Parts: sequence; structure tokens; C-alpha cells
Amino acid sequence: CDEVIRKRLLIDGDGAGDDRRINLLVKSFIKWCNSGSQEEGYSQYQRMLSTLSQCEFSMGKTLLVYDMNLREMENYEKIYKEIECSIAGAHEKIAECKKQILQAKRIRKNRQEYDALAKVIQHHPDRHETLKELEALGKELEHLSHIKESVEDKLELRRKQFHVLLSTIHELQQTLENDEKLSEVEEAQETSMEADPKP
Amino acid sequence: STPLQSPTEVFQALQRLHMTIFSQSVSPCGKFLAAGNNYGQIAIFSLSAALSSEAKEESKKPVVTFQAHDGPVYSMVSTDRHLLSAGDGEVKAWLWAEILKKGCKELWRRQPPYRTSLEVPEINALLLVPKENSLILAGGDCQLHTMDLETGTFTRALRGHTDYIHCLALRERSPEVLSGGEDGAVRLWDLRTVREVQTIEVYKHEECSRPHNGRWIGCLATDSDWMVCGGGPALTLWHLRSSTPTTIFPMRAPQKHVTFYQDLILSAGQGRCVNHWQLSGELKAQVPGSSPGLLSLSLNQQPAAPECKVLTVAGSSCRVDVFTNLGYRAFSLSF
Repeated sequence: CDEVIRKRLLIDGDGAGDDRRINLLVKSFIKWCNSGSQEEGYSQYQRMLSTLSQCEFSMGKTLLVYDMNLREMENYEKIYKEIECSIAGAHEKIAECKKQILQAKRIRKNRQEYDALAKVIQHHPDRHETLKELEALGKELEHLSHIKESVEDKLELRRKQFHVLLSTIHELQQTLENDEKLSEVEEAQETSMEADPKP
Repeated sequence: STPLQSPTEVFQALQRLHMTIFSQSVSPCGKFLAAGNNYGQIAIFSLSAALSSEAKEESKKPVVTFQAHDGPVYSMVSTDRHLLSAGDGEVKAWLWAEILKKGCKELWRRQPPYRTSLEVPEINALLLVPKENSLILAGGDCQLHTMDLETGTFTRALRGHTDYIHCLALRERSPEVLSGGEDGAVRLWDLRTVREVQTIEVYKHEECSRPHNGRWIGCLATDSDWMVCGGGPALTLWHLRSSTPTTIFPMRAPQKHVTFYQDLILSAGQGRCVNHWQLSGELKAQVPGSSPGLLSLSLNQQPAAPECKVLTVAGSSCRVDVFTNLGYRAFSLSF
């Protein structure tokens, strides 16, 4: 009994439509069967035909609506699937982008590490220049040591020459002294011989 | 809160007021966070519950809290099954699976061989060395002790620091450990040859030393050839091989925790904010937390729970701030 009520409510819940019309049609059919005069019958017949065509029209409308609903459902199904696909695609893109962010952060970190070290290195003087300075200093050092050597050689030579000179002078002095002594002795001998003639 | 509170509630409220959270550790599954405070308690928070869309106020409270140590829990690390906590001279191990079922009994406790048995020095830092399955402890006795996790024996004692050690970091490529301490030096130790291979006395470098703050190194982090350290001296980025300071980060307040993350350096210390630095020295962002000072940062990068990938910070309050996106604080967990 419940089911019947439900079905009836489903089919024509508002009560003022097709269901009533069909009931009316059945009643008017019975009336037509029981009609007396031909005129009455004919008019009743016309009325029935019009009611029938109204019913057919209503049915046609309902069928079209049903068709439309079916197609609309299909359409929605399609859109639903498309959206699902694009959601999955968006998820993938998000995962990809996250990977890219991580990569970019790694790169940035490396760059900043590089910059930090580079700053420290910049504080120290350029290696090229330091090498050049070292070379120049080395050359100067060499040059100066050459000079020192030559000066020392000169000094040595002079020292030797002076030594020779001094020793020659000394020798000469000795010789002169010796000569003087000799001549003194000779003189002494001579005077002693004159003072004391030989017997 | 109701006007008439029971004495226990008043006590708990007072406790929370004076609480400091020193350490954090993420569970191996990535869904839970352990926080250790100055009363020796460890609280376990469920990150997955607090981050889910149906999170309520209770989700931001601990799942379980237990008394782990007699003194503050200065440091915690997690292996793939255990939670290791240290503070008052001992290191204790707990099974994560057991704690989550509210069975909070310690698995074992060990104490490194201290030179004097009278005074037990505190352990400030723990470091896991996965390649050799060992744990490094360092703290008040100025030495780094390595303990084999399988046998529990203490294998090495690295001596060199002249004052207590604050922080440790592991250099993955070569098996080297960096330690920073109160004596102002960052020392690199080679675990194979058991020697100190490099020493950087940060306070001796004019560019970063700040004598008015002291010379202590409070935090340390390393990323292959680079090292960042801070504390008394300014937060500085060092190139390890040449021992040169390359970038000084212009932050007045001493920093207590620092870490590398992607292309940034995150640091926190005195002051509410987590600072985001670029390697060039620029301050990219300063995000305020809810505690007046911050002591620890933890990035949950456990691969098993990518939905719980958050930055949690804690310090001188009973709250742990959760940053879901580095840019702002989403919410806070509380003891």
C-alpha cells in the first residue's frame, strides 16, 4: 500500500495534472458510451479527443525532458571526468614544482656559500700580484747581494794591496835600519883604527 | 578556570608558570613529540592528533607525562625504537612503543665513567652516531664520552675542553664530531683516530667576538664543509677547512639553538622569535613564538609522517609552539 502511494505521488504529486486528466478521460469515455443523442455523443467525442491530445502533448513534453536529462547527465559525467583528470594533472605539476623549488633552493645555497668564500678570498691580495711582488723582491735581493759581493771583493783587494805596501815599507825600513847599523859599525871600526894604529 | 581550585591544580598551575622546556625529540614514526622540562618530566604530545582537522583543545595537551629524571632533562634523542634522555649525569633509555601505551618504565640507565665519583656532572648534549651505532654524551666534566648502544660500554673519552661542553654536532661525511663549550672553543674530533683534529677559538676572532657576552659557545650546527655557531660571540658561519669566519649574522641576543634547513639557517635564543637567515647574512624573516626565550628547535623530517612535517620550538615556558609553515605559528602545545 505504501509503495502504491509512493509511486502515485512520484508520478503526479501535485494532483492537478496528468493523473487527473487520465481519470477525467476514463469518466468521459464512460459518459460517452452512455450518451444518448448523436450530438451529445459527438461533442463528448470531441472533448475526449482534445483531452487525449492534451495527454499526448504532455507525454511528449515529458519524454523530451527525460531525454534532455539523460544528455545533461552524460555531459556532467564528461565534465566530471575532465575535472578529475585536471586535478590529477595539477597534483603532478605541484609535485614537480616542489621538486624544482628544492633544486632551486639547493642552487641558491651553493651560490651563497660560494659568495661567502669569495668575499673572504677577495680580502686577500691577488695571487698574481703577490707573485710579481715576490719576483721583484727576489731580483732586488739578488742585485743587492751582487753589489755586496763586488764591494767585498774590492775591499779584499785593497786590503791585500795595503798589506803588500806595508810589508814592503817595513822591509825597506828594516833594510835602511840594517844599512844604518852597518855604516855605524863601519864608522866605529874606522875611528878605532885611526885612534889605535897597528904596531 | 573555576575560582576554587584544589591544591594540586594550584600546584600544577604554579609549576607550569615556572617551567622551562630544554629538549625535544620526535618519535621514529614521526607522529609524536617528546618534550623534557626543568622538573625532570617528559611529556609526549600527539602531533598527528593536534594537526588533524578535528583537533580539539585536549589534542594540544600531552598524551602522557612521566617523571624521567631527578633533575632537568637537558637533552633527548631518538633512535628507531628508543627515546634516550639525559640530564642529571645519567642517560636513560625508554621504549617508544611502551611510552605510547603509557607504560613509562626506563629500559636502562647508564652513567659515563666520571673522573670524580663525588660530584656527578650534568649531561648537556647527546648525539647519535648511526654509522657505528653509538651515542656521544658531553657536559659538565668537559669530556666527550662515546657509548656503544648495543653493549652499553663506554668506548672513548675525548679530552680537550677546559670547561663544560654545551653542544655537539655530527659531520656526516668524515666521522667527525664537533663540540662547543664554555671555554669558547669549537673542537673537531676524529672518531677513528680518537684525536682532536681542529680547534677554532671563536672568541679570538675580532669580527665575531663579543667580550661583554662572554666566550661561551651555546649552539652548533654543521653541514658538510660549513659550520655555524653562536652563544656569547655573534652567530657566525665558518668554512671548516680554512677555519675562516665567512658571515657574521647581525643578531645581538645570544643564540641558544641553531640548525641548517634547506637553504636557510634557523636560529633562536634570547628573544621570542625564530630567526630565518640566508647564508649571505641577510635576515629573511623573524617569526615570534609564545615563549619569552627559546632553547630548542626541532624539525620533524621523519619520512614516515610527511603530514606532520612541522617546526616545533620551546623554551622558557610550558608551551611548545608548532609552525606548520615556517612563516607563522599555527598553535601551541602545552604541558
